[in-house]
Amino acid sequence: MFRFTPYVLKSLWRHRARTVLTVSGAAVALFVFCVIGAVQGGLESLTRQSQADQTLVVFQENRFCPASSRLPEDYARTITKIPGVKDVVPIKVLTNNCRASLDVVVFNGLPPEKLRVARDLNLLSGNWTEFENRTDAALAGQAVAHRRNLKVGQKFTMGEVTVTIVGLFTSSVTAEENFLYTHLDFLQRAPGRNTVGAVTQFEVLLADNANPDATAGAIDAKFRSGPVATTTRTKGVFQRETLSDLAELVGFAHWLGYACVGLVLSLVATTTVMAVQDRIKEHGVLQTLGVRPTRVFRLVLAESLLQSLAGGFLGIGLGLLLLGWWGFSIGTEGVTITFQPSLGLAVSGAVVSAVVGVLAGLAPGYQAARTQIVAALRQA
Amino acid sequence: MPLVEIRNLTKEFSKGDEKIRPLNDVDLTIEEKDFLSLMGASGTGKSTLMNLLTGIDRPTSGQIVVNGTDITKLSRGRLADWRAANIGYIFQTHNLIPVLTAYENVELPLLLLPMSSAERRKRVEIALEAVDLSDRADHYPRQLSGGQEQRVGIARAIVANPTIVVGDEPTGNLDTRTAEQILELVERLNVELGMTLFVVTHDPKVASVAARRLHLDDGRLIEMVDGHPAFTHDAVQRSA
Ligand SMILES: Nc1ncnc2c1ncn2[C@@H]1O[C@H](COP(=O)(O)OP(=O)(O)OP(=O)(O)O)[C@@H](O)[C@H]1O
Ligand SMILES: [Mg+2]
Repeated sequence: MFRFTPYVLKSLWRHRARTVLTVSGAAVALFVFCVIGAVQGGLESLTRQSQADQTLVVFQENRFCPASSRLPEDYARTITKIPGVKDVVPIKVLTNNCRASLDVVVFNGLPPEKLRVARDLNLLSGNWTEFENRTDAALAGQAVAHRRNLKVGQKFTMGEVTVTIVGLFTSSVTAEENFLYTHLDFLQRAPGRNTVGAVTQFEVLLADNANPDATAGAIDAKFRSGPVATTTRTKGVFQRETLSDLAELVGFAHWLGYACVGLVLSLVATTTVMAVQDRIKEHGVLQTLGVRPTRVFRLVLAESLLQSLAGGFLGIGLGLLLLGWWGFSIGTEGVTITFQPSLGLAVSGAVVSAVVGVLAGLAPGYQAARTQIVAALRQA
Repeated sequence: MPLVEIRNLTKEFSKGDEKIRPLNDVDLTIEEKDFLSLMGASGTGKSTLMNLLTGIDRPTSGQIVVNGTDITKLSRGRLADWRAANIGYIFQTHNLIPVLTAYENVELPLLLLPMSSAERRKRVEIALEAVDLSDRADHYPRQLSGGQEQRVGIARAIVANPTIVVGDEPTGNLDTRTAEQILELVERLNVELGMTLFVVTHDPKVASVAARRLHLDDGRLIEMVDGHPAFTHDAVQRSA
């Protein structure tokens, strides 16, 4: 079976310029495929979190950017009394960029004692007591810390807000790792923002048996007549709706992913067709020596498969390495999607490469196997 | 039983409306260790006969029985297997695989046979030794002279110890001196190694070393004895 491996490898090596170009083309396409898959993975994991459906987000009606939503902090007392509500967490969100951006920094200000309950954070360094005792303390998610090169003990400034990093954390929800958590009142008192008594949103934790939709309706009904009307959705819906433009874009990128696959297919197929046409006589000679047509077919298939796989592994490897290293995320209106490279993505990339490699080799392989030996030998 | 028995072999080509028949009801018997040469004017069908005998082309009608097997009845795949085991083909232009070394080119036919790598190595070494190219084993075809390339081609043809070695103008592309060396080598294959040979040639010198000399003319195969047509099956038919 593998006795002809040296022949296949040497044939590829003979036209190394062509082979290298094909492999790098396939690598670029699979790299893009990988990046698109990672964004998609991030989006899916965000909207799939189990917690997302038993938590409500109360936002100011008809407002989308955190900068423009302002709710009185004392709404919390009213909301707590609504049946089905277990706890209410007021949150002030501060972001450097409300539009879609690859480098959003998002501050979430919470009452420090509520953070541990409302969020499932796992401290990598630093400690909770310091966070609770220090007014300008901030906990930074691993992803944003990596991107901005943040270390414990360091000060970090965004606009007029300067915080001291007292800890780094990971979370089971990867999107969380793009946030910086601070004290609510610290953010409210930030210079130039007289927002004491106002928050961006409330997160409402529901009792296990509560009906999210009914409770959301009850909350909005309470505040319909003012002073500020609210829109309450489950956290999942809130994130989905906030990200809907971006999600549409990601959905479109999905098609680009398929286009990449098509690109690799035509690239590898073209190269293989050329390789076969270059070697019509050689295939005639091989068959004269006693190589079966089916083996000629497999040899051609092996060439195309190898190129596609080499490109695929290169592209996927590079993609995962880069995404893993930089921890890219894309965000809009204070909600972020983390590019989520995964083993599953790597496997599907490899499978795609393999399938494409085989498909690309089918037609030229068949052509080579069907070579009319006498006519082939007559070629110059 | 003869080694090869060709019976009523006819090959017809159609060029548009016109039909040509380079082989017309040809019979031929080849015994083990025979050395045959085949001459004839250009375009008479010598290569066509070789192609049929080696199973790389199909006859219009007739039989080719080699060691009891009628190869005209074999499928393409089976025919390939049969060639791997039974045919050594010396081409006019060596037709070596350019990406493989001399050693690998000679080894190629053995890869198709059930054989241990140690056995393969031994056989390749013997074959390269036979064509006096042991010292060029690691050279690529482009690093060899025309005569050396042809010798590698001969080593490749004999390495699997085939039933019959055929050559379609094996010296046709070489200068006189090199052609003579190759001819000597081919002769040794028959005399010393006892191989059955069938060689197409335009060169009377090549033909003269063969014990049996054939002539193809107008679709008929004629065996020459002392420079004159002998009574062949064809000749009998024609005179009848
Ligand atoms: N595929 C084909 N289609 C049509 N005619 C063909 C085909 N192959 C061979 N012929 C014709 O059959 C005849 C015999 O051809 P062949 O190649 O066997 O001649 P040859 O004796 O080997 O000639 P040469 O000495 O020039 O090599 C020629 O007239 C050739 O034109
Ligand atoms: Mg010829």
